Amino acid sequence: MPKRVLIVDDAIFMRNMIKDIFAGSGFEVVGEAANGLEAVEKHRELKPDLTTMDIVMPFKSGIEATREIIKGDPRAVIVMCSALGQESLVMEAIEAGASDFIVKPFKAEDVLSVVKKVLGEV
Amino acid sequence: MDLSRYLSLFVGEAAEHVAGLSHGLVALEQSVSTGSDAGPVIDGIFRHVHSVKGMSASMQLDGIATLAHRAEDLVDLYRRHLARAEPAAVDALLATCDALQEMIAAAALGQKPAPDPALLDRLGALTRQALDGRAAQAEPAPGPARAPVPPPAPPLAPVLPAEPEPALKPGPRRLEVEVEVAAACPVPAVRAFLVVKKLAAFGSLVGSTPTVEELKAGRLPGKKLTVVLESADPLDRIERALSQISDLGAVVIRAQDGQVSTPARAPAAPAQPAAAESSRTVRVRTEVLDGFVDTVGELLIATARIREVGRALPPGLRPLLDEGVDRLHAIVKELHGQLMGVRMTPLAVVTERLPRIARDVARKLGRQVEVEVQGAEIELDRAILEELSDPLLHLLRNAVDHGIEPPHLRLLAGKPATGRITISARRDRDRVVLEVADDGKGMSAGRLREAAVRRGALDAEQAAALTEREALALATLPGVSTAEEVTDVSGRGVGLDAVRKTLETVGGTLELESTRGLGTRITLRLPLTVAVQPVLLVRVGEEVLGLPIAKVHGAVQVLYGALDRSRGAPVLPYDGELVPVHDLAALLGFDSAGRDERAVVVADGADGRIGLVVDGLLGQHEAVLKPLGPPLQAVSGLSAVTVLGTGRPVFILDVTRLLAA
Repeated sequence: MPKRVLIVDDAIFMRNMIKDIFAGSGFEVVGEAANGLEAVEKHRELKPDLTTMDIVMPFKSGIEATREIIKGDPRAVIVMCSALGQESLVMEAIEAGASDFIVKPFKAEDVLSVVKKVLGEV
Repeated sequence: MDLSRYLSLFVGEAAEHVAGLSHGLVALEQSVSTGSDAGPVIDGIFRHVHSVKGMSASMQLDGIATLAHRAEDLVDLYRRHLARAEPAAVDALLATCDALQEMIAAAALGQKPAPDPALLDRLGALTRQALDGRAAQAEPAPGPARAPVPPPAPPLAPVLPAEPEPALKPGPRRLEVEVEVAAACPVPAVRAFLVVKKLAAFGSLVGSTPTVEELKAGRLPGKKLTVVLESADPLDRIERALSQISDLGAVVIRAQDGQVSTPARAPAAPAQPAAAESSRTVRVRTEVLDGFVDTVGELLIATARIREVGRALPPGLRPLLDEGVDRLHAIVKELHGQLMGVRMTPLAVVTERLPRIARDVARKLGRQVEVEVQGAEIELDRAILEELSDPLLHLLRNAVDHGIEPPHLRLLAGKPATGRITISARRDRDRVVLEVADDGKGMSAGRLREAAVRRGALDAEQAAALTEREALALATLPGVSTAEEVTDVSGRGVGLDAVRKTLETVGGTLELESTRGLGTRITLRLPLTVAVQPVLLVRVGEEVLGLPIAKVHGAVQVLYGALDRSRGAPVLPYDGELVPVHDLAALLGFDSAGRDERAVVVADGADGRIGLVVDGLLGQHEAVLKPLGPPLQAVSGLSAVTVLGTGRPVFILDVTRLLAA
């Protein structure tokens, strides 16, 4: 069974890029969300094995979304997608329950390595 | 990863973010001046600049990322309430928008643009200044020395859910975990923080070196972390949890009971090649759409041609063919409609930048202006939008330059110091009505009359005879302007006249209303699409011509010889006014059929309604308009050509320029 992934990012560009990284690497991208509100909803609906979460998004930030998702599903695995210079936000996200993080700009192999580790597949 | 296939998506989306950024900055300045809550605006600004940074870094466009990063640092200060957005900073950030826009355009051409070092310095200096200003303010007064407080164990909530408890659980013992963060990790302190958090879930944290506070401040000397915790969990479980964290080098776990564990770190898994892109949208070059429109236009014409040929068939066969042709016609119309739908573009594309431009112009002139755009979501054909861009810009500059008074004069007049310009759009059946209204000083009909006389457009008597509304319309004539001095803001003499002409090329009209002291409103009426227009076909002698229905008010049958000629040229009483009548055949140099019983089509001319005498009315026709190529495009009075089902080409008249021909 391929692991099911939800991608959360407000940029279509980033979503496509992350989607391409997952596709063909044994993952199934089951959904996308463009903001924190959508993320919480889609997570509840899709129950993905893994969620990649952008931090700075409209309506609801990735940190708030993470906090809410974890509240409803403490075992949810959320990997934050952050940029350099966002260290304090990432730490906030970790406190909110994020399992790990990747730093943009990222390489496909870095992303896969982080998520496989976090899912205990390595 | 091959990044080139993301380029067009990147360019489009990054440009949207830069536009949003520019928009937000103007709104920020407005909210600072009005004292309203700038929080949401700043959040938006931060998001845009941050997105540009992230996207460009992912595209390995480091120059763009660097500039965006520098801007983000500055905006972040506002977001965290550490500084206020001063006008100089907003200027610098707007200059950054412009630079980003250019850099993104360069990236679209496959270049890797470098940022302007002067701009980077400017942003850096502003950030430092903002921080210094704050540091100077926040310097605490020296207080009594505080007794050293032992570092408290940070209150940490367990992050990971506790696993089901084993039946027989040994008591907790003290563990010391040593972790080295990999040299390649870009943010080692965050990595270490994650380790502390994960370990905290296995028991209670006794302490760590560096402390959590130090990690939060980004400090991790030697990239080494030591965590001490009390935990009853078996080492392998803790090990497993740590093995799920990326970017860790050596890990050593020492238990109080002498157990030591040094799990080997597995190397990162090799990457799989990325699969084919699977996106649900495609971006199409606009030229491709233009080509489609042409092709579908040809289809419409070909369909009409088949129908025409069918008329020659024996009556028994015609119903079958007609049924087929009707069906074909319906499908082609549907296709055309869908295609026009695809070409529809929201007005926002051209209005987006207007508040920013108004702000720049106002700053230069010492005015205060607020621009509000309503109905920016309304969609128009791309071709019309392109034509609309410059006229709108011109109207806006006019409003700031000639409409809005300097703040002290506004206050004297009992108005708020900040002038208001509203650009609003709405649908009105098959047209879009666009209004540019300001609350400035209004236009003076008297001064327009004087100017028209001075420039020789009218004599004093004619000028005096004009109604208020007609006098205001003088502003749209070439060379009539009431601006006292020529400024580089609203152009030199090419004013409303040029705006009106541009609008007319796409079938639009311009109306002007103004009240002295209260403001001016300019109303533009535009068709939604240009490519297919209903035209009225008329016969002049042997020729068939088309008049755009949008310009036509009506038609009446007349006896040409019986028209009222008491003022010299013939006039026709129509709708309560006397409309001057012109013989179309004479205007175009055609031979008229010469019968006395003829028709007059009343249409919008350049200076009001005119009547055009024709030999006959042939009915309405959905014309696929084709632009005229050289040399015909030089003929004044003709705007386009269409082809009838019979294959006969028909010229479409440009009514407003007919009389000038």
